Amino acid sequence: MLRNYLKIAIRNMAKHKVISFINLFGLTVGITCCLLILTYIIHEVSYDKYNSKADRVYRVTRSFNNKEGIVSLHLGAVAPPFGPLLRNEFPDIEKVTRIFPVGTVPMRYEEKIFNEKDVYFGDDNLFSIFDVNLEKGNPHTALSDPYSVILTEDLAKKYFGGEDPVNKVIRLNNQFNFKVTGIFKPFPDAAHLHPRMMLSFATLKDTAIYGERKLQTNWGNNAFFTYLLLPPNYPVKNIETRFPAFLDKYMGNPGDTKPSSWTKLFLQRLTDIHLTSHLDEEIEENGDIKRVYIFSAIALFILLIACINYMNLSTARSALRAKEIGIRKTSGAQRSEIIVQFLSESVLITAIATILAIGLTWLTLPLLNAVTGLDLTIKALLTLKVIIPLLLTPFVIGILSGIYPALFMSSFQPVKVLKGLFKAGSGSISFRKVLVVAQFAISIILIICTAIVFQQLHYMQEKSLGFDKSRIVTIGYDDASLGKTFESFRNELRNSAYIKEVGRSSRIPSGRLLDENGASTESGDSLRPVSADIKYVVADYDFVPTYGVHVLAGRNFSRAYGTDTTSFMLNAAATRALGLQHPEQAVGRNFKYGDVKGKIVGVLDDFHFESMHQQIVPLALVMAPAGTPGFGFNFISVKIAGNNVSGGLAHLENTWKRYLPQIPFEYSFLDERFEQLYQSEQRQGTLFTSFSAIAIFIACLGLLGLSAFAISQRIKEIGIRKVLGASVSSIVTLLSKDFLKLVAIAAVIAFPIAWYVMHHWLMDFAYRISIQWWIFIVAGILASAVALITIGLQAVRAAMSPPVKSLRTE
Amino acid sequence: MIKISDLQKVYRTEEVETVALNHLSFEVKEGEFVSVMGPSGCGKSTLLNILGLLDDPDGGSFIFNGTEVAHFNERKRADLRKRNIGFVFQSFNLIDELTVFENVELPLIYLGVKGPERKQRVETVLDKMQIMHRRNHYPQQLSGGQQQRVAVARAVVNNPKLILADEPTGNLDSSNGNEVMQLLTDLNEQGTTIIMVTHSEHDSRYSHRIIRMLDGQTVTENILV
Repeated sequence: MLRNYLKIAIRNMAKHKVISFINLFGLTVGITCCLLILTYIIHEVSYDKYNSKADRVYRVTRSFNNKEGIVSLHLGAVAPPFGPLLRNEFPDIEKVTRIFPVGTVPMRYEEKIFNEKDVYFGDDNLFSIFDVNLEKGNPHTALSDPYSVILTEDLAKKYFGGEDPVNKVIRLNNQFNFKVTGIFKPFPDAAHLHPRMMLSFATLKDTAIYGERKLQTNWGNNAFFTYLLLPPNYPVKNIETRFPAFLDKYMGNPGDTKPSSWTKLFLQRLTDIHLTSHLDEEIEENGDIKRVYIFSAIALFILLIACINYMNLSTARSALRAKEIGIRKTSGAQRSEIIVQFLSESVLITAIATILAIGLTWLTLPLLNAVTGLDLTIKALLTLKVIIPLLLTPFVIGILSGIYPALFMSSFQPVKVLKGLFKAGSGSISFRKVLVVAQFAISIILIICTAIVFQQLHYMQEKSLGFDKSRIVTIGYDDASLGKTFESFRNELRNSAYIKEVGRSSRIPSGRLLDENGASTESGDSLRPVSADIKYVVADYDFVPTYGVHVLAGRNFSRAYGTDTTSFMLNAAATRALGLQHPEQAVGRNFKYGDVKGKIVGVLDDFHFESMHQQIVPLALVMAPAGTPGFGFNFISVKIAGNNVSGGLAHLENTWKRYLPQIPFEYSFLDERFEQLYQSEQRQGTLFTSFSAIAIFIACLGLLGLSAFAISQRIKEIGIRKVLGASVSSIVTLLSKDFLKLVAIAAVIAFPIAWYVMHHWLMDFAYRISIQWWIFIVAGILASAVALITIGLQAVRAAMSPPVKSLRTE
Repeated sequence: MIKISDLQKVYRTEEVETVALNHLSFEVKEGEFVSVMGPSGCGKSTLLNILGLLDDPDGGSFIFNGTEVAHFNERKRADLRKRNIGFVFQSFNLIDELTVFENVELPLIYLGVKGPERKQRVETVLDKMQIMHRRNHYPQQLSGGQQQRVAVARAVVNNPKLILADEPTGNLDSSNGNEVMQLLTDLNEQGTTIIMVTHSEHDSRYSHRIIRMLDGQTVTENILV
């Protein structure tokens, strides 16, 4: 029986090649998109699951409230004392380990110097929480002694070539020697951190580096990523509810307020970090669960469109199968047997599509990798969790797309179909219309979303930042390394015609503004604390001219004024936060930031220090005497004069090498740093466009098949109309009108949905475009145009053919 | 074998009510060969469809082999149909995608006959109809006469007690038509009951009895044998 069904199915496919191709192609592409997106999703949700204790490891995070009690900062890392104290206070915690990022730092072995990025200090029990695979060295002791270092194999090769790295000594920042005690395998791709060099935590006890006392008392340095190991299935609420009391017990009461009233601790499951953690400080940039949802939705949309094609084309062609059904019924077939027959056809075609899709996925995965920057492999799909559903796919998709045609066709009355009383698929026309409307609604939604995503991306990249980001070279450096020689370094640079300005700051635009210290402002004769949060950046005399930020009131810091060595500039947002109506009112006021006291010398126009995701926040540029703790410089910014960027860079490099021979010259352009900020959106946009195009293409294929069929059904009508004198254009209009009406209905449905979705998407950006009505019109016209071309070509052909031919088809 | 009494069938559209069968009654005994004749629209085809359990009457009684079947549901009708009734249509109604062999095989598949037995039975009947040499051809590759022979082969392959033929020679030239009529006569002689709707006086002479219909009623019955 089944053989008979399959035989008919295959012969039918061979007979109606175009429609079979549309069905097969649509389903194949639909399933391929699903598989591609599935590999991506499997990758995204697999983060940190390589860790054998993944379900028991939690990260401690810390939030800070502003004076209104609203969370103003939430960091993924905490202060160094928390780790050991938590372990003491809560006996249920089995282990605690801390990781402290070093940032970019020059490392040297003999004559080789490299800037290393992924360098961390790690507690000696790191291996008992993270599954670090030590290829050389003893996991129990590798990070025990001060000044020990373990590194990945590729780094070892870079420094030591073929020599045995163990017991070799490398020099950090030209100051400290570390002995290599182990070689470890790099963390897997799907990990939320990728250290390549780990220094022993015990080293930090040395006051020259950090200091044992500071490790126990520095509550303000929230840069230590702290991980806890809990017993299996432990209810973390037990610990979290006791955090406020814990904070009050150990942090004391500075300023008579309980610490628990302005700061909180949280626990975060290790496996949740990658997709759901978007805190103000993260070890690396994380993924986003929203992106996973968006792409799952798109994959399902594409598959749905392909299924709709199948339903539409099958029911449209039902007239052609009517006779067969009639004969089968008179030969004794039950309705259920006819249903099974049509379902086995749709299952067969889906099975073929699934096999093709697996091959296509394998072929196109490198493309997806190129766009996403990920390293996905088809191996991710080779697990039982994927293979079993994949084997079921033909049945699920086949039955989903085949059930309606099967139910519809099996209901045919043999008397009618065999007597020729049957009218081609008439009963199903309205349902087919609904499906076409659904397809086009999805397509229009995707067109609108794509357009708005790109508008927003363009806006972010082109919106004026409030300063000129072009031709600014930024270099991270250690303030101590240049020290007093900075002035001559700067003068030497400025002697070149290629270089316009050289400024120093603690942070540079494109980075985050996270540093905050209490501010006080003039109130009568005394200073009163400011209630609003004001972030700060340490800047020198030349920072503002280098960036070309507009000074609204007052003046820039100036060497001409002796008192400027401790002084401030605020941005306009900060003056508003102080409750001042006009920027001018701020100039000349006494101001205190942290322990630095001085006058406000000028007010800057608001400028975008951070990405467009962030609001412009109140900001103070602080000029503090050299050596004030917490007020050092970390970056040099150089503005190149004119267009000779390479000349400027060459001069910069030469000068750098003379002053800082021990530090590799590594720079980045500020405009590129800003572009990087939007890279993930850019990638998302590219993916979005690709998948939307695929969706629209498949929808059009379906429309092509459907309109071809609709026209073939009306061949006789067209002939009669032409005999009676109808023009080609009137016939094309007649044939296209019905479909265009459907596109119009689809547009009406799509507009509010697209608006709603994009309205929410844009909410993530502090600076965003407003959704413009013309995008909707353009999307509607675009969809209509595509539909019109699809139908029109066939309509014209039908209308042009001589009427005798069409009348003879009876 | 068949006894219908007071059979009614009315077709309704929004405005028009057409009485297709108007309190029709007659009987057909096992082994009979009956022709039903009458002008277009007199209800012949409606009658045949009801007799073939393809359609149900609006009223009256239809006793088939001693069982009242007028109110049977679709499932029971299909079951009865596949065991007892073979159809021959004017337009042959072969499935274009299946070969001669596969077309004839179809009723046996739905009866659940096993493969080897199916093969043997289909071959026997194809032999009898003298189209064995065409077994692997598709219907489009055959002449009208050959197609109708295939259709007859399909109708008899499950050894039905009753064959319903709806103008079996309507699409054939006279020599092919005669051949088909001869086939039916042979079958009848072997014991199969045949009810045939026809416009052809010539064809009707092959049967034992002619029922003439007008406006959904029988008007005369001629016994030829």
